[in-house]
Amino acid sequence: MRTFWLLYVAEFKLSFREMSSFIFGLFLPVGIMVIMGYLSTTNEELVTTFAAVATLGLVSTGVMSLPLSLSSYREKKVLKRYKVTPISPVQLLVAHVFYCFSLSILSMFTVSLVALFGFNMIFPGSIGLFLISYLFVMISIHSIGILIASTSPREKTTAAMSSLLFFSMFILSGATIPFDLLPSVLQSIAQLLPLTHGIELLQSQALGSPFTSYSSLLLLFVITIAATTLSLRFFRWE
Amino acid sequence: MTYAIEAEGLVKYYGNKQVLQGLNMNVKTGEIFGLIGANGAGKSTTIDCLLGTKKLDQGTVNILGTSPTTKHKSLFEQIGVQFQESAFQNGLTVKEICEITHSLYKNPIDWRTKLADYQLEHHVRSSISTLSGGERQKLCILLATMGQPKLLVLDELTTGLDPVARRQIWNNLRKLNDEGVTILLTSHDMHEIEALCDRILLLKHGNVFMEGTVQEVLSKSGAKSMDDAYLQLTGEGIR
Repeated sequence: MRTFWLLYVAEFKLSFREMSSFIFGLFLPVGIMVIMGYLSTTNEELVTTFAAVATLGLVSTGVMSLPLSLSSYREKKVLKRYKVTPISPVQLLVAHVFYCFSLSILSMFTVSLVALFGFNMIFPGSIGLFLISYLFVMISIHSIGILIASTSPREKTTAAMSSLLFFSMFILSGATIPFDLLPSVLQSIAQLLPLTHGIELLQSQALGSPFTSYSSLLLLFVITIAATTLSLRFFRWE
Repeated sequence: MTYAIEAEGLVKYYGNKQVLQGLNMNVKTGEIFGLIGANGAGKSTTIDCLLGTKKLDQGTVNILGTSPTTKHKSLFEQIGVQFQESAFQNGLTVKEICEITHSLYKNPIDWRTKLADYQLEHHVRSSISTLSGGERQKLCILLATMGQPKLLVLDELTTGLDPVARRQIWNNLRKLNDEGVTILLTSHDMHEIEALCDRILLLKHGNVFMEGTVQEVLSKSGAKSMDDAYLQLTGEGIR
C-alpha cells in the first residue's frame, strides 16, 4: 500500500513538474469556462456550457496523459524494471490511472466553482446523478486511452493518435464550440466521437431534463467494455 | 557446492532466429560471474530468460533454489537487477526513486547512509536526469541492492563511464561480494572482467564458446590479456 501511495504521489509530482497535463487538464478548462461564462446569456446556457467544459479535464488526462505515460513507461523499460521486483508493474499503471482520475475530478470541481461563484450558475439537475454520469464518462474515455497505449507500437505513434483524438474531441464534441453551432457535416462527424455522447449525457443530467440519452449511454458502455477487453488482450509490458 | 543460478538447455527464438542454442550455465553461490560476448551474442536475452522477463522456448532455470516464473514475489525479494538502460519515470529525484524502491522490499537497507558509499550524498534532492552517467549507474546499483539481495544481476553496468567512476563501482561490487552477494554481470570491458570476475563464460551465437576462470581462459587461448584473448576467441580465423 505504501508503494502504491508513493507511486501515486510521484505521478502527481512528475506531472506538475512537466506541466502539460495541468495546462490542458486544469488551466485551459478554467480559462474556457471564464470566457464561455461571459458569453452565456441565460442560466440554461451557462449550465449547458458548464457540463461540456467540465469534460475537458477527463478528456485531456484520458486520451493524452494516460496513453502517453504508459507508452513512455513501456518504451523506457520502466514497466520491465518493476517486473524484476517483488511488486507487479500493474501497481504503477493503476497509480497513473488514479492520478488521471484525480486530476479529472479536480478539474471538474474547479470548473464548477468558477461557474457557481463566478457566474452565479444555478444547477437545476441532480448533483448525485451528474457526478455518477461524470464518473461513468471519465472511465469510458480513459478506457479509450488505455486501448491507444495497448495497441500503439511506440511513443511517437501514441502521441499522434492522442493528439488527433484529443483535438477532434476538443473542437467537435461541444466542449468548446457549442455543438448546435457546427455545420451539419461536422455534426455528423462529431456523432462518431464518444465525448459528444458523454457531453450529451452530462448536459441532460445537469439540466435535469427527462432522460432520453439511452443511445449515448449504451454507446459509452459498449466502448468501455470493448476498449477494456481489447486492452487486456493486446497490452505488452515491453 | 551450491549454485545461485542453474540453467540447462536454454533455447530462445525471436521469430525464426534462434538466439539461444541450448545454453548451459551455472553460477556458484558467492562468486562474481561474467557473461561476455559480442553484441548480439545473446547476453541480454540470456539474462531475460534467466529472470523470466522473456519466455524460454526450451530449457530449465533454477535461481536460488526456485524457478523464476513461480514464487515471483519471494524470489525477487532476494534478487537485485540492473538492466542495460536505467529505467526510471522521467523527472524523479534521487530521494523519490529511493523511497519508492525502499518501499518494495521487506528488509530494505538504510539508503540514506548508503548514498555516501556511492558518493551520492549531495544529490538527494537532484533530479535523476541531472546526474552524470557514472552517478546514475551508481544509483542504479544502490537501487538494485535496496532489498539486501543474495544475487545481483548487472547488465553492462560500466559501459561509457570514465575510469574513476568505473573503479568506484568495482570497489562497491567487491565490497558487496565480500558481504556474500553473488554477482552475475555482463560487460564489454575486459579489464573489468579481469579485475572482478571469479569465472567467466564466453557466449558466441547463443551458446557456450569457452568457460572457466580468467586464468583458464587465458591459458586456453594463449593470450597475455583478456583483451587479446577476447579478440582471438571471437575474431576471425580462430584456431
